[in-house]
Amino acid sequence: MTARLDPITVEVIGSALSTIVEQMGKAIIRAAYSANIKERRDCSAAIFDPEGRVIAQAEQIPFHLGSLLGITTETLKRVDPAGIAPGDVFIGNDAHTGGGTHLNDIVFLEPVFIGGGIVAWVANLAHHTDFVDRGHAHIFQEGLRIPPIRLYRAGHLQQDVMDLVLLNCQVPHERVNDFRAQMAANRLGVQRVEALHARYGSAVMRQAGAMLLDYSERKARAGIAAIPDGRYVFRHAFDTSLWPELLELAVAVEVQGEAITFDFTGCPPQNRTGMNMVLTALQAIVYYVVKTLIDADTPANSGFHRAVRIVAPPGTVVNALPPAAVYSRHEVAQRLADMMLSALAQAIPDRVIAASTGITVMTTSGMHPRTGRFYAYNESMGGGMGARAAKDGLDGVHMHLTNSANIPVEALESEYPLMVEAYELVQDSGGPGRFRGGMAIRRKVAAVDHDATVNLGGPNNIVPAWGLDGGLPGGLAHIELAEGMPALRQRNGVIGAGQWAAAVTSGGGGYGDPRLRDRDLVRRDLREERISPRAARKIYGLEE
Amino acid sequence: MAEPARAPAALRIGVDTGGTFTDVCLYDPATGALSVWKLSSTAHDPSEAIVAGIVQGLSGNGHAGADVAYVGHGTTVATNALIQGRLARAGMITTAGFRDVIEIRRQTRPALYDLQVEKPRPPASRDLRLEVPERIRFDGSVAAPLDADALRTAARRLREAGVDAVAICFLFAHLAPAHEQQALAILREELPDAFLCASHEVAPEYREYERFSTTTLNAALGPVMRFYLGRLAPRLRAAGITHAPHLTQSNGGVISSEAAARLPVRTVLSGPAAGVMGAIALGTVAGLPDIITFDMGGTSTDVSLINGGRAVMATEAEVHGHALKVSMLDIHTVGAGGGSIARVDAGGHLKVGPASAGADPGPVCYGLGNEEPTVTDANVVLGIQNPTHLLGGRMSIDRAAAERAIARLADRLGLDTMRTAQGILSVVTANMAKAIRVISVERGHDPRDYVLMAFGGAGPVHAARLARELEIRRVLVPRSPGILCAMGLLLTDLRTDFAAGRMVPLAPASLPGLGDGFAALQAQAESWFEGEHIAPADRATARRADMRYEGQAHELTIACPDGALDDVALASLRQGFEEAHRQVYGYIAPEEPIRIVALRLEATGCVPKAALPVHPPATTPVADAHIGTREAWLPEAGGAVACALYDRAGLGPGHRIPGPAIVEQMDSTTLILPGQSALVDPWLNLLVEEDAA
Repeated sequence: MTARLDPITVEVIGSALSTIVEQMGKAIIRAAYSANIKERRDCSAAIFDPEGRVIAQAEQIPFHLGSLLGITTETLKRVDPAGIAPGDVFIGNDAHTGGGTHLNDIVFLEPVFIGGGIVAWVANLAHHTDFVDRGHAHIFQEGLRIPPIRLYRAGHLQQDVMDLVLLNCQVPHERVNDFRAQMAANRLGVQRVEALHARYGSAVMRQAGAMLLDYSERKARAGIAAIPDGRYVFRHAFDTSLWPELLELAVAVEVQGEAITFDFTGCPPQNRTGMNMVLTALQAIVYYVVKTLIDADTPANSGFHRAVRIVAPPGTVVNALPPAAVYSRHEVAQRLADMMLSALAQAIPDRVIAASTGITVMTTSGMHPRTGRFYAYNESMGGGMGARAAKDGLDGVHMHLTNSANIPVEALESEYPLMVEAYELVQDSGGPGRFRGGMAIRRKVAAVDHDATVNLGGPNNIVPAWGLDGGLPGGLAHIELAEGMPALRQRNGVIGAGQWAAAVTSGGGGYGDPRLRDRDLVRRDLREERISPRAARKIYGLEE
Repeated sequence: MAEPARAPAALRIGVDTGGTFTDVCLYDPATGALSVWKLSSTAHDPSEAIVAGIVQGLSGNGHAGADVAYVGHGTTVATNALIQGRLARAGMITTAGFRDVIEIRRQTRPALYDLQVEKPRPPASRDLRLEVPERIRFDGSVAAPLDADALRTAARRLREAGVDAVAICFLFAHLAPAHEQQALAILREELPDAFLCASHEVAPEYREYERFSTTTLNAALGPVMRFYLGRLAPRLRAAGITHAPHLTQSNGGVISSEAAARLPVRTVLSGPAAGVMGAIALGTVAGLPDIITFDMGGTSTDVSLINGGRAVMATEAEVHGHALKVSMLDIHTVGAGGGSIARVDAGGHLKVGPASAGADPGPVCYGLGNEEPTVTDANVVLGIQNPTHLLGGRMSIDRAAAERAIARLADRLGLDTMRTAQGILSVVTANMAKAIRVISVERGHDPRDYVLMAFGGAGPVHAARLARELEIRRVLVPRSPGILCAMGLLLTDLRTDFAAGRMVPLAPASLPGLGDGFAALQAQAESWFEGEHIAPADRATARRADMRYEGQAHELTIACPDGALDDVALASLRQGFEEAHRQVYGYIAPEEPIRIVALRLEATGCVPKAALPVHPPATTPVADAHIGTREAWLPEAGGAVACALYDRAGLGPGHRIPGPAIVEQMDSTTLILPGQSALVDPWLNLLVEEDAA
């Protein structure tokens, strides 16, 4: 064993690894075909050590960590390591066996060999807009399940595997070209990791990897130690897209010195909708929340996970077992993140935020009148960020576990037979408070020259995002339909040619008593039509 | 009484305004003389120092304002207005339903894990963003005509609100500008004094957020730039200079004052772009067409890549949080400079920057009150930078104070002082290497194929190590690293770019349309040449096409051969695209159709440039420039080692200095590591190279 590496070499190697994953992420976006990847950047990349621990993750979509966390270990469980060769590329997406969190996120995983042995793994994931217009009673309805299998053997494409996957996809032409982009990203990652090993030697790299994990752990523990010890509980019942009743969730956050435990005992049993999540998804949520509480430039690796313990009873919506459907796991995920932060409001009120928007998803599909091919359009929408203790929440953003971009209207209309008639912030949707919650978004989409199948999913239609410290809740989400359109059933319906549907997302909760809001800010919000004259008078108590 | 006959106006002047200094370069083509002035900037009105510098320069050389033929200017007016939020009160007119596009942006939040993160406020506030009924479809056809009455009503509201500028931003106006043109005409009637601009003129490319953001920012900068030029022009005239100044734009090209006044958003990288142009000129003369520029100052470092004598352009750019869709050099900036502060974070790692002690109070060793160790302090403690004075003796240095500050940091790291000082340099070097990887490796260029050109006050001292980190074998340090930006303005031709959106397959049927498109761009270029009084023999144009596979959204820019657009040109475009795609992504998709998305034409007007004189080989021995020895702590030498100390002013062509050695000059210090040697070339550049193994 070499002498203990100095922290500076470790920092330099850590920075090189994070550059590699960022470059991998950009390569996918630049080469991809589907709007969800090339415009919305719904993809991520990571590097693992030989044991499958995350050493570096491109910081694009926090939730993707859930898929990346499981893929290497699941692969190693199933595949004889002795049989893995350079140029083998594994793909997988299955939440229950493949390390994914829902079937649309397809992972590409490739080993890096030095001197005949695996020294690292590179992986990337992209959300494929496919498997649309499905049921969600169990995972078999949700799309093709792919355990970790080889798509390439020693650099050679396994055409039979590719054919099987593509036959199960509704938009195969996009899939195959998106897969090429994912291959390009991994190839870049393998070459760059090889170059780093050539430069520093594999012994130094291994040690640097271990020290980067230790470093993250120390930073996490320092951050946790700054939170007062105690057990902080939060319960919340909320509405989802599909489950007919309110779903009552519970979390207890226990801080003890440098350790933190998140206990989800009391969450309901898994159900026959896509509202369930597997354990790796729950881990991604908890790690996200922990990361917002500690030094922001802590490397995104597995090291800081060691300071965190998770208790989640199997068979519940937060630790679902086969054959639970998982497509809409993000609805529960966003609420859980809000709940953990609100639980901690009892301990560190200045550092957490009020509840934020969920994720509203619009999906339309049908036969494209201009190409004659089946198309699928899918876009998740953000809304209001919860207000902070000393400033307003951001208006019209994606929150917490996701951070995908919108599809520009000019790209959307060029590609799909749709027309966006409005894309705007919603008046009075920001939860009133001394600091106002962020505003929701309204996106109104019309079908052009065809009948489009539509699905409009998302929570907060009944229970709004809550405020903190006397702040009021944000505006509710809802769906608007063109006059004469039949109501959606289970969020599904058809937009006839020339008709439209609009998604109105939810606003963020406020922070503090709205009557204590700075009068100049109330007047500014009024002038800018962020609040109505009525709200200014009745809720904020503006007199003039 | 007749004046004595004067030679026709011929002097050329370059001016670069920085935060601390204004540099003025004066070139006399008749004698080949190049003179340089440096004076303190006048932040309240930068034109004061500019004109004062020019007047001093002229009179010092026995010239008058009438002798000046050209003033080139790199300005930070737009950048500073952006950073400091000193923007004009701007309104926006947009398609009904879309006034929040510039506020929603792309829905992403700027930092994933920072719950206190902020988005920059849009350049036009929500109450000044007014909607009018109109709509154009994706194919350019009209879905709803422009409602002129609603527009007039909106215009009057903006007038009553007292706006100084209005941006007109309609969906799909990049394809069909008729509605925006109509709106411009109406607004000119309703708001005759306001600065007006429309998205199809400012950034005619698809993606509404990026185009609208660029256009509203242009509107908000318009009155600021107009005010600035309105001060500068009369001052120059009062000094007898009749030629209006030309401004460097963010893509390195040079535009007239009128163009800069109309499109100020194109000047946000004006200052650093001038440095890149200087680097290209220097590299071309020295026969080094492939360069990575490394411009390190007190607070930040700007890096860019030059390929075959051409600067690489950015594909997507964000400046101070605002998306900007204008042609800009791919200049990447990191918070790493001589004043960057070193600290130990909660996990026990050493971090350097982005916080900076700047120039005031500056590093600990300046003795102006800062107690936190900086990069410069590390260099002083290690003996690399002069431990007693800087700026040729104009500023004294307190090495002991720097050492105490670093020792405090060393205690927390459990290392000794020297290792900690060296650690600061290693970390800052890694940060800068990361920036260079962004503009090289990430774009498919191998940094090992390039020469590192180091300038700015702090560039030459870190260049050797940065080069090794990136396995770059050669470093070039210009004779005057501190004034390369101002010199750049006198070393370059006039250049501007024209572009037109096209959405056509790469196929024979598209050829006539492509030919027409390039012809239209050529016509625009010709009228620009006329306006700039460029003789036909001095005109040059180069054509390029932005291409991608049909399903992709991100393009690669490919050179298009001159001459007729025929099957040969088509084959050349395909070959160029496939080569580039393979280089960047490692594959091609032979069965996939290729699309041309935009046509580009770069117009260059050849103008008299400052010549970089060739100096005869040195006749004195290099030993004459050897002014002493200093002990420096270099890990490459295993610790403290005696370094030969040289005076840059005494070095001439042919002189060779083996490392380890240190070369001092008034405004910079160059470190040569063990295993490297420096050679002085005929233009007095210092070329630091790895010795043959």
